[in-house]
Amino acid sequence: MATPAQLGLMDAASPVMEEMIYFHDHVMLVLILITCLIFYSMLVLMFSKYIYRFLTDGHVIETVWTVIPAIILVVVALPSLKLLYLTDELDNPQLTIKSVGHQWYWSYEYTDYYDIEFDSYMLPIGDLVGGDARLLEVDNRVVLPVDTSVRVLVTAADVIHAWTVPALGLKMDAVPGRLNQLALQCSRVGTFYGQCSEICGANHSFMPIVIEAVPVDVFESWCDGMLDSD
Amino acid sequence: MADVPAGRLPKPQMRGLLISHLKKHSAIALVFAMGVTLAYKFAVADPRKRNYEEFYKNYDVKREFEAMKEAGVFHSARPSWESSDD
Repeated sequence: MATPAQLGLMDAASPVMEEMIYFHDHVMLVLILITCLIFYSMLVLMFSKYIYRFLTDGHVIETVWTVIPAIILVVVALPSLKLLYLTDELDNPQLTIKSVGHQWYWSYEYTDYYDIEFDSYMLPIGDLVGGDARLLEVDNRVVLPVDTSVRVLVTAADVIHAWTVPALGLKMDAVPGRLNQLALQCSRVGTFYGQCSEICGANHSFMPIVIEAVPVDVFESWCDGMLDSD
Repeated sequence: MADVPAGRLPKPQMRGLLISHLKKHSAIALVFAMGVTLAYKFAVADPRKRNYEEFYKNYDVKREFEAMKEAGVFHSARPSWESSDD
């Protein structure tokens, strides 16, 4: 999860988020180039004592400062579109889960191989134990196998919500009456946190998402445990 | 007056000052901007890619999972000391 005073993006836990971080670095290069050019130009202009009394037009410079930004936009847009299509790519998902937004909790359904359904409520502050993150922990976490392509179908039961996990580079609106598809793949084990990202009422800030990425055998044991508890 | 050197001042540039000024400062601006950009690329962007590559090169899922499990991170797999405490 994010740490206090964190400025950069969270460490990636999925291939798509890694590509987003690299794209962010790419755009930062362009922004730094433009900012340094503007900064130096401003300094020179501020400290210059010269005035050119006969300046009427500048056709060459106007052409230059039209063409160069167009080239910059192409340099930014091409990798951006490539990443955009990458986020939509679904690589033969081995598992499909459904995530349904309610006011104010998430419910999950694993109906591929098992019939597992559960609700995921935020843990109130009084129920937290040492090391737990305030406003982020839930009673029932989403357990998923690591290194497995998963399809998440996101919808809502009442108003619009949004299912978000920043470390995995995921965000998708949960719209009532609509199924939105997300491609998810955890590259490493661990717990990954997110929060509802579409204003949905009084407790919009209190319906977090927690994903546990575990090895496949542990996932299967968890599924058996969930079926037994039903 | 005695300390003013004898001789003529160099003749100032009378024509084309704007163009020469622009050329000089455009070159400096470009070098400065490219320098800072390349510094970001070699100091931040490329090391970040290498770090991710190194991290996943020898990443052992089982080892990392066991370490996190023993630290009590997961709800789906509790640490061994928890069951022995029970």
